[in-house]
Amino acid sequence: MSKRYTIGSFLLEIVMIAVAAVFAFPIYILIVLAFKSEENWREAPLSVPLDPYLGNFSAGWSQAYLGDAIFSSALVVICSLLVLVAIGAPAAYFVARCKPRLGYGLYVFFLAGMILPFQLALIPLYQTMRDIQLLGSPASLVLFYAGLQMPFTIFLYAGFIRTIPRAYEEAAKIDGAGELLTFVAVVMPLLRPITGTVLILNGVFIWNDFLTPLLYLSGSDWATVPVAIFSFVDQYVTEWGTIFAALLIGVLPVLATFLVLQRSMIRGFASGVKG
Amino acid sequence: MASVEFRNLRKSFGAVEVIHGIDLQINEGEFLALVGPSGCGKSTLLRILAGLEEATSGDIVIDGQVVNTATPRQRNIAMVFQNYALYPHMTVAQNMSFNLRISRLSKAEIEKRVTDAAKLLELEPYLDRRPAHLSGGQRQRVAMGRAIVRNPAAYLFDEPLSNLDAKLRVQMRTEIKALHQKVGTTSIYVTHDQIEAMTLADRIAVLKDGHIEQVGTPIDLYRNPANKFVAGFIGSPSMNFIDCRVRRTTAGLQATLPGGNEIALPNGLDVRQDKEITIGLRPEDLRPGKVGSQISGKALFVEPTGAQTFVQFESDGIQMMAVIDGSEDVQAGQPFSVSLDFSRIHVFDKDTAKRLY
Repeated sequence: MSKRYTIGSFLLEIVMIAVAAVFAFPIYILIVLAFKSEENWREAPLSVPLDPYLGNFSAGWSQAYLGDAIFSSALVVICSLLVLVAIGAPAAYFVARCKPRLGYGLYVFFLAGMILPFQLALIPLYQTMRDIQLLGSPASLVLFYAGLQMPFTIFLYAGFIRTIPRAYEEAAKIDGAGELLTFVAVVMPLLRPITGTVLILNGVFIWNDFLTPLLYLSGSDWATVPVAIFSFVDQYVTEWGTIFAALLIGVLPVLATFLVLQRSMIRGFASGVKG
Repeated sequence: MASVEFRNLRKSFGAVEVIHGIDLQINEGEFLALVGPSGCGKSTLLRILAGLEEATSGDIVIDGQVVNTATPRQRNIAMVFQNYALYPHMTVAQNMSFNLRISRLSKAEIEKRVTDAAKLLELEPYLDRRPAHLSGGQRQRVAMGRAIVRNPAAYLFDEPLSNLDAKLRVQMRTEIKALHQKVGTTSIYVTHDQIEAMTLADRIAVLKDGHIEQVGTPIDLYRNPANKFVAGFIGSPSMNFIDCRVRRTTAGLQATLPGGNEIALPNGLDVRQDKEITIGLRPEDLRPGKVGSQISGKALFVEPTGAQTFVQFESDGIQMMAVIDGSEDVQAGQPFSVSLDFSRIHVFDKDTAKRLY
């Protein structure tokens, strides 16, 4: 039986459309201004650009050295994610499968890492990075993000692993697999959905982070996308069209990755293994 | 193929002992079923044998070797799980060959074994499919195939049919039986379904609360249950029990039912006057009619199944079940009488629940 369409449903739809419009408005501004020349946006900043101006993109790409910045960001994101998955997944497997009391203790320990504000550690970490001569190197960021996001990664993986029946691992043991082979050949492939979630959520956070790369990489040639766009804002603060075009370019890699991984990310949130 | 033995096996989880010193010998090539209600320890026993759980004390012996500390791989035992536990990311062929690949067999040997098993189980068209794209029965066969390719010392089945619908369960039961007859490997089969155990096993071990209540052939357990628990567990519908008191008369032993009615007891029974006993009557041994010793009452529910009709009736406040021929005409609410056959009466001590006759 289909639900009746009432005035309540109509009002709810109006509210939802209004909320969607509020969220969509900044994106609209971003896109519209990116395709307008300076004269155009001063005259009618909110109108749809009927004759799109592409000069902002070429200017943004070259003036902010976006190609280099995207490479730096991609390098930091990929390396950080590799470390997070390579360490986080087996660590979470241990947390989820060890004796309940120890597993709960470890789980709470890692959760505490999510609760504590990381800004508290920025200065001591800066000094440590300086002492081990990693300042200005992308390795400092990889190290930082791996540590910062590890509790969150373990939290996601451990929750998912608990939903996987132990029978798969037991079947692997009966088949003659040791602990390592069981994890690599049986458990890890079952973690594909949550790995998608881990990659997306951590990847977006690392890609968008501004403060940490500004602190650890300032003065080096390894500026990440947000830092590159920031320096660009500093110099060309009035050229909003160019800034927004640069922002659009900076968002594209994340958007593309999200589109590729969104199905697995949703399955990861929903949890469970089919088979 | 190998023999399997448990010697005074105990298992505790924390302070709670769940298996209390089990001794059991399973012969080479035998099909043994472990049956019992939920929580009786049958799956734990199987898992201990597989090496997935550690025994607290006692020995597990496979083919004469104590394997208490051996890994599942060293025990060379194959197991079919309740939910099949097929690896979802592998194809049927990869699932079946996982153990062989770990054992580093040659590609040709792996292919031969997988093809042979697939042929035996009629799985050839599905070798490239993933488990998610198979029906319940096909998954079950893949799980068996994964066990067969290994040539193991013994097969362990942990309630493998409980996820299937009734029709498929009967079909797979026949296939498991046929498979055992073909390969002849020692098999240990855990189930809470006594019909599965009766139809499949050479011998059945009935467990309760971590103890073995009785071990024997299916027909032996059915005809000569060692105690009231086994009598009630084996047979479907389960045995009727009536608590009564023994009275010695000149005509022989009589049992006084709670309502005052009396029925004659077998002459071979050796009990004293006023002894409290429990009489066990199988529903299929109660025949409608008024010949010899009989029980009369009123039919409460009538469940025709075609060939047979199940009649739930009440006599002297005791509810009982009779299984009668499907052609008999019985109506709910009408008087209903059954006659008893002396030779089919089971008598148990009311206090110890042990068999007296």
